[in-house]
Amino acid sequence: MHDPGTHPMARRAVKKATLVTYASKEPSAFAEMLGGLIEANVLAHANKHKDFDELTARVGIWVTDIDEGVTLVFESGLLTVYNGLEPRRKITIRAEAETVMSLSNLKIGVFGLPVYYDGVGRGVALKLLQGKLKIDGMMTNIATLNRVTRVFSVQ
Amino acid sequence: MAVNAFSDEWATQFKDEVNKSAAYKAAGKGWKWTVGLVVEAEPDKHFPESRGLVMDLFDGDARDIRVGTAADAQKCDFVITAPYSRWKQVATKELDATKGMLQGKLKLKGDLPTIVRYTKASQELTECTTRVPTQWPDEQ
Repeated sequence: MHDPGTHPMARRAVKKATLVTYASKEPSAFAEMLGGLIEANVLAHANKHKDFDELTARVGIWVTDIDEGVTLVFESGLLTVYNGLEPRRKITIRAEAETVMSLSNLKIGVFGLPVYYDGVGRGVALKLLQGKLKIDGMMTNIATLNRVTRVFSVQ
Repeated sequence: MAVNAFSDEWATQFKDEVNKSAAYKAAGKGWKWTVGLVVEAEPDKHFPESRGLVMDLFDGDARDIRVGTAADAQKCDFVITAPYSRWKQVATKELDATKGMLQGKLKLKGDLPTIVRYTKASQELTECTTRVPTQWPDEQ
């Protein structure tokens, strides 16, 4: 009979892979929420995991109505979340809390592109047109933005 | 008639408001988890003991909303915790619940993608609390 206590590997702790780390010892609530959201998304969906593994970018998100933000540093399968905006960002998204939540509710359609023709998508597009959602670096990094949206989206 | 905040009567009226809300019925479609709201004690605000609001929400309906202990609420699938005065701010529209969660003023426990998917439903639940005529213990 196998005795689990005698095998050298028997009592080895199974350590859960950490995809997301926080730069600060005291991450903000917003940082923890975004980090937690992305980690849960990536672990639950193989297609999001693939995007996450291929993503290398520094993305800032600033929530204008709570004056808080984070920088997400994606490095090929790892994410470090910083409190506040860090330098050398490729993309910076600025919007109110509700719009940031809408971004994470964008559906992903054919060819992995965000859907802008349903209710949520139209709302996001309208905010962009109204200047209530600003995305610096959008035009030059559209493929990266779409990949970030896929990782970020809960739909 | 106004009812005491987070009392049994308050929970009943809150449930009625949720079930009257067409917006919640639409936004909460597909929801099938229990939600616990922990209202932490603030004795200086005449709210001496923590309470829990246990909400059995299913597919756009409130099947049951009752007041229990904080421990009862903590057993739910999703738990939102804040001191009494924060909940009062939410119920009087002084604090938006989404912003409160992003700022850590309301502490959330549960599967984040699910709660984010139902942001509209949680906003409407908050709206329902504002429609319950409430007597606040710190104002009596």
